[in-house]
Amino acid sequence: MLENLFFGKLTLDAIPLHTPIIMGAGIFMAVVVLAVLFAITYFRQWSYLWHEWIASVDHKKIGIMYLLLSFVMLLRGFSDVVLMRSQQAIAAGSNLGYLPPEHYDQIFSAHGVIMIFFVAMPMMFALLNMALPLQIGARDVAYPYLNSLSFWLTFVGAMLCNVSLVIGDFAAAGWLAYPPLSELYYSPTVGVDYYIWSLQIAGVGTLLAGINFIATIIKMRCKGMTLMKMPVFVWSALCAMILVALAFPILTVTLGLLELDRFFGMHFFTDFAGGNAMMYINLIWAWGHPEVYILILPAFGVFSEVVATFSQKKLFGYTTMVWAIIIITFLSFVVWLHHFFTMGAGADVNAFFGVATMIIAIPTGVKVFNWLFTMYKGRIILATPMLWVTAFFTTFAIGGMTGVMMAIPPVDFEVHNSLFLVAHFHNVIIGGVLFGYFAGVIYWFPKAFGFQLDEKWGKAAFIFWVVGFYLAFMPLYILGLNGFMRRMNHYSNQLYQPYLIVAAIGAACIFIGIVLQIIQLGVSVKNRKALRDHTGDPWNGRTLEWSVASPAPVYNFAHLPKVEELDQFWLDKERRLSEGHIHPNELHYHAIHMPKNTPAGFIIAMFVGVLGFALIWHMLIPGVIGFVGMLATWIARTFSTDIDYYVDAETVKATELAHLKEMV
Amino acid sequence: MHAEAIEIHEHHDMDSTDVFGFWLYIMTDCILFGSLFATFIVLNYQGMLSSKLKNHIDLSTVLVETFFLLASNFTYCLAILALYKEKIRHVQAWLGLTFLLGASFVAIEVNEFIHLAKEGFAWDLNGQASSFFTLVGTHGFHVSCGLLWILIMIFQLPFIKTASIAQRRLTYLGLFWNFLDIVWIFVFTVVYLMGAM
Amino acid sequence: MEHQQPDYGTGQKKLSIYLIGLFSCTVLTLIAFGVVMAGSFTKAEMFITIFTAAIIQFLVQVICFLRLNTQTEQARMNMLSIIFTLVILVSVIGGSLWIMWSLNAYMMS
Repeated sequence: MLENLFFGKLTLDAIPLHTPIIMGAGIFMAVVVLAVLFAITYFRQWSYLWHEWIASVDHKKIGIMYLLLSFVMLLRGFSDVVLMRSQQAIAAGSNLGYLPPEHYDQIFSAHGVIMIFFVAMPMMFALLNMALPLQIGARDVAYPYLNSLSFWLTFVGAMLCNVSLVIGDFAAAGWLAYPPLSELYYSPTVGVDYYIWSLQIAGVGTLLAGINFIATIIKMRCKGMTLMKMPVFVWSALCAMILVALAFPILTVTLGLLELDRFFGMHFFTDFAGGNAMMYINLIWAWGHPEVYILILPAFGVFSEVVATFSQKKLFGYTTMVWAIIIITFLSFVVWLHHFFTMGAGADVNAFFGVATMIIAIPTGVKVFNWLFTMYKGRIILATPMLWVTAFFTTFAIGGMTGVMMAIPPVDFEVHNSLFLVAHFHNVIIGGVLFGYFAGVIYWFPKAFGFQLDEKWGKAAFIFWVVGFYLAFMPLYILGLNGFMRRMNHYSNQLYQPYLIVAAIGAACIFIGIVLQIIQLGVSVKNRKALRDHTGDPWNGRTLEWSVASPAPVYNFAHLPKVEELDQFWLDKERRLSEGHIHPNELHYHAIHMPKNTPAGFIIAMFVGVLGFALIWHMLIPGVIGFVGMLATWIARTFSTDIDYYVDAETVKATELAHLKEMV
Repeated sequence: MHAEAIEIHEHHDMDSTDVFGFWLYIMTDCILFGSLFATFIVLNYQGMLSSKLKNHIDLSTVLVETFFLLASNFTYCLAILALYKEKIRHVQAWLGLTFLLGASFVAIEVNEFIHLAKEGFAWDLNGQASSFFTLVGTHGFHVSCGLLWILIMIFQLPFIKTASIAQRRLTYLGLFWNFLDIVWIFVFTVVYLMGAM
Repeated sequence: MEHQQPDYGTGQKKLSIYLIGLFSCTVLTLIAFGVVMAGSFTKAEMFITIFTAAIIQFLVQVICFLRLNTQTEQARMNMLSIIFTLVILVSVIGGSLWIMWSLNAYMMS
């Protein structure tokens, strides 16, 4: 009896001992985790790790942790790619391949979930945390403790998804888990529950981060930085976070209702007793469309920064750039039906959303032209971030065009859910989001870590990624137009096979690209002294983050900047060349008020993780422990008064002088 | 001293920023309830059939609950007034009354739910019932969280040394409590009044 | 002695305004319930009355209890946030109802 209250539905059968591929992956994961834990113990870094990283409320550290999470999950999500591409390359005609449908279904579902929620979103928050507070001349985000909580909740969501590999299974209903397939009757295992709870938990983390960044941008800009003097990256972040705040509650509700159906036998989306599965699809895409704009807007922001810096020219058309972002933000809430034109709404409904979708391409086009005009007559430096931008221009344009094609309902009726669709969204997500985020990571890496990434290996990785992308996805457009549908583990017509072999070669090239990125990181760490960023401004940048040391001191700015114009830092540099400036030794320094590190965010997230796992397996006692622990930690923290400290003026002065010494 | 003035100014700005963040959270909660309302309407008015809820609604009970919640909204405002007059005992008293009124609301609602379930209108009966219990229940759950928060504030107030911290926290709770009464306006209109028509 | 009160973006807290709010909300609530409980009005009349009463009571609560206004910069920012949220809410709920109604109409039942 007690055993039941404690273990719920969980038994040893939950471990998939009979599936060698999964067990292999699980053992690999376990070995890596154990190796890391062993290394930390051997080098006696637990105390350092706990106090400086796990309990950190510093946006710079949290940004690095988000980046690490996203890269690790990229490897996990890419392993799904290797499985799918290899399966599809061989499974033609009489050859069934090595992945049965039930397994293949879990793979493509996990692939989508991981790439969107645990690679793209965390990478975005990594960039926001690494760069944004510095760009607006602030000392930290508005709510540092909440920032820590957001990260750890995202981490817990990702871990639940990883645990599902070896304890139980994952959803096999696609990355959006449509009912009735995702209802208990057709998905009786815990897979969909893992899906729901890992996304709910990560979703709450994201929502809180959205609120955090909106408040930061609105309230914590330095003196003189009006909204129209902010860097365009900050504008894109503001609008993306507004989208997060308004769209994620819809996801919370939709997944929540699905869980109520599964857990309590309710009838929101069941195919009987008055449920309406189409309402799920309507709601999930009302979230899902803003979600893709949440991902792309910061990438657009990165492009604005990178293009201006590496063309050594002011960004063309600042005002139209800002308006384009605002219009995209609003329009992204009136196009969501284009994801289900074929579900059966009337022509009037389809036409409205089709037209709205086509309109949203216009402000995007304005932005692309503005970037091109920025480059025109600039003195372009083709450093790796700029290479990613050039690849983006063509790649994203193709992806955007196929999107506008599908915005026409009659065309969509032909290609909906075919590989044409799959090629389109990978085209825009990889060509737009991922290329942009990679450019951003390389661009801001020196600011975060104090040394640049190796250019040679970076360029090599770039070439393999871009060539690989085109090889992997252009054949899919052709296949889609020829009737090949998505999510198929096997096909009978062997005429399709050559295209899928080319696609598999493309995936292999991307794999090499990822390996080269890992080598790039390794080589850069090894040569970090040679690659050291001594001045804090390795790219001759235009915005405020480049005016401080690399890595930035814990307080960011010894004196909060005062801004009078756009690209103030660039103007200051030009003036300094002609006018000279006050020596830091002669400035007056004062104590700086900073928030204290706290493990509360981590602890709350861990309890939430226990609660999530317990809800999945219907384990009552662990569930209560998780819930009570979460609540108790949260409430206890509100009684704490030891939440801040002062960096004394002497330390600030010493840090600033050390930086100056390194600059010369 | 110049440095101290900076500190006080920074603290005031942070208070304003903190409350703004809570306001943003309330906006996200609006969208949350909005999605629940949309789901409720879709599942209760499919094909323009009226809701079966009609058979189970007792409007006089709903009217009574509504006044309990409205009254609690008002008593909370009185607590805020007392706070700005720095009369902590009065604040605790008004908060206590707010708690009692809010708890009465929740008690009536829970009673209604049990009564409905006994009559056969349970949450796993059909889509109409599921959406009813979830929409109204989510609101009730929010109110219950608010009640817990009120209790914590009553207990915590004497320990809070700085007036600005007390004001800030009671401002958050005030926004939350007011917001719940606003959502209730739409719940009783869309669920109960329309359901009874 | 604190010279500057932090700007929460809400108006001044005054008992008179709270009392006006309480009284107006009570009246509006009674009107809405009364119209439905009386049973002597048409569906259209009831519908219009209860929704008008709801919207007016919403505005009363927002102005009298939440004390939303446009006096200070923070207040204007709060106002902008709620207006934008309401616009999106109307789009998403309205759009969803339109879509679901259309889907239902085209379903063969």
